[in-house]
Amino acid sequence: MFALKRVLLLAVGLASLVSATSSTGNSVLVVVEPKRQDDFSMFFEGLKDQGYELTFRQPKDEKPLIAEYDVAAFAHVVLLASETKNFAKDITPQSLVDLLRLKTNLIIALSTKQTPLSLLAPEFSLILPPPGTPLISYFPKRDEPASLVPITPTKRDATQIISDTSKPIWFSGVPQALGSNPQLVPILHAPAESFASEIDGGSADALVDSAEKGGEGLWAGSQLSVVTGFQTLDGARVTWVGGVDLFSDELAQKVGPDGLKSGNAAFARDIVAWTFQESLVLRIDKVEHHRVNETGPSELYTTNDELVFNAYISKFNPKQGSWEPYSGINDMQLEFTMLDPHIRTALPPVRSVPGKYSVTFRAPDRHGVFKFVVDYKRKGWSHLHSSVTVPIVPPRHDGYPRFLSAAWPYYAGAISTSIAFFLFSALWLAGEVRESAKRPGKAGKAE
Amino acid sequence: MSTAYPIPSDISPATVKNTASLLRIVALSLISGAAIASRLFAVINFESIIHEFDPWFNYRATRVLAAKGFYEFWNWFDPTAWYPLGRVVGGTVYPGLMVTSGVIYNILHFLNLPVDIRNVCVLLAPGFSALTAWATYMFTKEMKDESAGLLAAAFIGIVPGYISRSVAGSYDNEAIAIFLLMFTFYCWIKALKQGSALFGTIAAVFYFYMVAAWGGYVFITNMIPLHALVLVLMGRFSDRLYVAYSSWYAIGTLASMQVPFVGFQPVSTSEHMGALGVFGLLQIVAFAQLVRTHVSSQQFQKLLFGSVVAIGVLGFFSFIFLTYKGKIAPWTGRFYSLWDTGYAKKYIPIIASVSEHQPTAWPSFFMDLQFLIFLFPAGVVLCFRELRDEHLFVIIYAVMASYFAGVMVRLMLTLTPVVCVASAVALSTLLDTYIDPTEPVADDDTRSEADSTVTSNGSSAPSKKAKKAAAAAVSAPSKGPLSDLVAAATGSAHAGTGNITTGIFGLDSRGVVVLNVVFMLMFFVFHCTWVTSNAYSSPSVVLASTNPDGSQHIIDDFREAYYWLRQNTPQDAVVMSWWDYGYQIAGMADRPTLVDNNTWNNTHIATVGKAMSSSEEVAYPILRKHDVDYVLVIFGGLIGYSGDDINKFLWMVRIAQGVWPEEIQEPNYFTSQGEYRIDDRASQTMKDSLMYKMSYYRFNELFGGNPGTDRVRQQQVPKEGPTLDYLDEAFTSENWIVSLFPSLSYLAPHHFFRSTSDASNCICSRNSDSDFVSMSLLVLPRW
Amino acid sequence: MAPKSTPASSETAFNAFNTLWKAYRDGTSDRLKFIDSFLFFLMLSGIVQFAYCILVSNFPYNAFLAGFSSTVGQFVLAASLRSQVNPDNKDEFKDVSPERAFADFALGSIVLHFFVYNFLG
Repeated sequence: MFALKRVLLLAVGLASLVSATSSTGNSVLVVVEPKRQDDFSMFFEGLKDQGYELTFRQPKDEKPLIAEYDVAAFAHVVLLASETKNFAKDITPQSLVDLLRLKTNLIIALSTKQTPLSLLAPEFSLILPPPGTPLISYFPKRDEPASLVPITPTKRDATQIISDTSKPIWFSGVPQALGSNPQLVPILHAPAESFASEIDGGSADALVDSAEKGGEGLWAGSQLSVVTGFQTLDGARVTWVGGVDLFSDELAQKVGPDGLKSGNAAFARDIVAWTFQESLVLRIDKVEHHRVNETGPSELYTTNDELVFNAYISKFNPKQGSWEPYSGINDMQLEFTMLDPHIRTALPPVRSVPGKYSVTFRAPDRHGVFKFVVDYKRKGWSHLHSSVTVPIVPPRHDGYPRFLSAAWPYYAGAISTSIAFFLFSALWLAGEVRESAKRPGKAGKAE
Repeated sequence: MSTAYPIPSDISPATVKNTASLLRIVALSLISGAAIASRLFAVINFESIIHEFDPWFNYRATRVLAAKGFYEFWNWFDPTAWYPLGRVVGGTVYPGLMVTSGVIYNILHFLNLPVDIRNVCVLLAPGFSALTAWATYMFTKEMKDESAGLLAAAFIGIVPGYISRSVAGSYDNEAIAIFLLMFTFYCWIKALKQGSALFGTIAAVFYFYMVAAWGGYVFITNMIPLHALVLVLMGRFSDRLYVAYSSWYAIGTLASMQVPFVGFQPVSTSEHMGALGVFGLLQIVAFAQLVRTHVSSQQFQKLLFGSVVAIGVLGFFSFIFLTYKGKIAPWTGRFYSLWDTGYAKKYIPIIASVSEHQPTAWPSFFMDLQFLIFLFPAGVVLCFRELRDEHLFVIIYAVMASYFAGVMVRLMLTLTPVVCVASAVALSTLLDTYIDPTEPVADDDTRSEADSTVTSNGSSAPSKKAKKAAAAAVSAPSKGPLSDLVAAATGSAHAGTGNITTGIFGLDSRGVVVLNVVFMLMFFVFHCTWVTSNAYSSPSVVLASTNPDGSQHIIDDFREAYYWLRQNTPQDAVVMSWWDYGYQIAGMADRPTLVDNNTWNNTHIATVGKAMSSSEEVAYPILRKHDVDYVLVIFGGLIGYSGDDINKFLWMVRIAQGVWPEEIQEPNYFTSQGEYRIDDRASQTMKDSLMYKMSYYRFNELFGGNPGTDRVRQQQVPKEGPTLDYLDEAFTSENWIVSLFPSLSYLAPHHFFRSTSDASNCICSRNSDSDFVSMSLLVLPRW
Repeated sequence: MAPKSTPASSETAFNAFNTLWKAYRDGTSDRLKFIDSFLFFLMLSGIVQFAYCILVSNFPYNAFLAGFSSTVGQFVLAASLRSQVNPDNKDEFKDVSPERAFADFALGSIVLHFFVYNFLG
């Protein structure tokens, strides 16, 4: 409902009063060539209306720096200067990777030209076709050039990110073949009948050559992705967009051959929402562990204790700009690990308490330093990881049963020996006294 | 009866006796003082610090004991050791040492003497060395007499073979164990002599203390039964032996099982079966003896003898059968390595890798025992002369301990007491003979001549000696003549010997021998002092070298690095290093370690060895799996410290190979010529190994980009140094001995801590080549 | 304690036992006989415990060891006492008078029982 309204508002170009905020900050640096800045005015306005503070910078400007003294200057960076070959000193593939380490989110637009950014793409397991080979599709038949492709999202695309799958998204740019990196989040795939080729239909030799070299086959079909997300292990997000025109005013207002309005504006909004950590953002608020029937955590547990583990998970609500308890995860697991998981069990949500997940299990009969590990990684969602170390110790010396019924014959033996000893000693001493009394002479001799 | 020098005759026997015992007490206290004082070199030269490796664990455990009490200590599970396995400390430790310190600490605090637990620990070993001297005195007294006892006490007080394990700060089990060893033996001898169950019980109680204090208690467990067995075989069985052995074994064995670490071993492992067997044998023999007193039938005795033999054979076979069935644990690997010196190297590299377990080098016998090593056989021979039951004990002890000391360096320690005892017996016999004033009967004229010429000189000889005896240790021999005086006065030994035919004529021959002995004793004192101060007083945590101008230069890299860890890393940052440094990291840096000197889990150690000896790509998953945050490397190539990790590297490879023979192969680490090199010609596997890379990472930068020279290996490192992809350098100590490498997953800001002042230090240390050679020499005996 | 062997022919063995028994009865003082009866009781107790351990269960092994060693220890201590107070052995135990022998015995037994009860549970 809300999404529909927002799309409408954007589509008619009205200033929206509704704002959605990111969970990591509102400052955005936009690196864009000055001559093209106006082409994306609707996109920028939309960002501003949501409450983002945009800072524009030309690719060759020295200032403002993207990071200074190992501190990122902006929460998000949008690199729309896809054609630029020479950036200022501080924008290099390496510095962008560093930015990701500082948890800055990136939107990076690619083009058919070879630029520093396209050289960076392979580091993210994106395999680009050789320069000058955009995505081409002759279907559906239309007036537009073959390199401007309408793509209607299908089920294979990231439906949890794309809010409106009914409208075509007009795309012009390079497709990406995807490597096997599990951190990739393909957002929008190319249509099945599309392929990468030179526009004028000239010789395809170069393409075939590089395809053979790459070993990935031709860049063709729905395996290709045109917009691809990537989430680092630290949780920073980067989205690779095959062509910068996706964000342009022209394509946002375009009406398709069958009369459908363009979905570009909404799609751009979705990309921003995901990349800037508005949607699909989870976090573990806290974890607890304690023995059954106790409330506070213990510094250490004994083998075979019954343990309770609780995790509290929140989801970011961009509308309110706040974190809300989230009980929607049904496939989370808890591992109890020492070198290898000794116990792996489901960590189901507790229905009565929103956001709480709880499990009770018995500690293994093995002492050592164990970890409660929650490791929840799903494509598109922020990764949940928590590891709490706790020692499991053997029972204390008085923790074992001391007197066993099985041992009573031995107890009897030991006690009878002691009693016999006392009796013997008493009799012996008595005998000595008697003897010395009776026969003083003999006792005297014994002395 | 004639004398070589005049003896005052107007002193009453009681006075002589009292004076002699007073002098004995004074001498013993002086010996104790000397024993303690000579062990304080380490404190004076360096500081009051715990030494070496194992003592750091003992110290840490003692602190837990002192802070939390005995029961907490007993239940102490240490989650920071052997991460992530953890270590059940209470059940895997000989608690005697810690409990002793804890008791002393509590007593002192009860007396309102607020002594730091560290000082108790540092000074425990010297304190117990004084007790050892006393126990040795008592023991030797049983062998010969008080004068021999005093000599033995003086020897054991300062002999380097014992000092090496008991300097101040060497807070190890051996510190108290030697005292317990000697005292248990003393009680045993006493029990045997008197046939007293009381001394047998005392021996058992001290045996229990010994079991709680040191794994070497097995030595007692086998020595005493061996002695008893030999006595029985020699036909010297007596009821005294039965009483002494039975009371000791019955109580001692039960008591030893109270120690959690020992548990049921006394009834289930082969090492303890000898004692049990002798116990059974003694019961049978005693019963047979009893029967014999009642019956004299020839036939019956034959029958009895046959049945005794049959039972013995039966017991032996049942022992073998039980071992075969697994009811009795067979000998442990450590035990086998005592018989076959090549065994450990082949099957248990982890034991062989410890320098203490190497066979003893011949020079070290002389270094540790000096002239006692010559006197030792003489003393043993003298024991044969009388061959009472207790002499037999010394002989057996001497034979066994000599063998073991030859096999393993660390067992030199058990040899030392018997060497002292035997040498004291020999030396005191010699002195007795030569100071004895009685002249043998000979031609009258010769005797009177000798008498008239030297009488005036005569009295000055002992007084000169007495002056020289200022050093406490040498004061012992001066008691020789006094005890003779006692003997002469009380008339027990020499009173009736007016007409003996063998002996020494004149004072000159006496003087030559006695002065010679005095000279040897003095030289012994010098030697002991020199060895102690130079070789055995280095804490090995702090190294010392000499600057060109003769002043001492302290190399404190270990503590520098450990304190860096302590101050700059989170409390739970796991540090991986070779096991040698585990206890020190735990003690000084207070950080979890993967492996430490308690080498109970060979696989875990091999895992670390594998990580160190494989390439970064292979090592990284291992590091991740074990949550390693930092890797600690010891590198001596810059200053010539020979005990570094590159020199130990082959052991890591061997131990890793024992577990992963497919992945790690020792030959790959040698050049094609079979050399162990670190320069250009080093094999590729060697160059790729994590240890090599970490050791020589950025080494060339110190030399301005030129290939640097490794001063331990005396080789040039390759021109382009190794690069690290997964690890990073966090900290390198001043002299480059210790380096720390965080694994990259660790997200703390990167620390690059090679302070610039190092360069100047390095240069200055490079100028003083010879100093470091001498330093590494001094360090050698400890490694 | 030791089984009296397996004689070659039962007749001679029987005779031998007979003489032994007679000699024992005649040549032993009452006090020694008193000790011997104590020893006999301890031996029986030890044999019963051992048999129980073998035949039924050695489960609390420490309890078995404690009980069994208490009988064994008490046995050897009493046997020591016996040989020390035996007038025949007088010259062997010069330093140990019968009174001291009993004191030794009592002290040793107390130490023994202390360890036994510590180990029992």
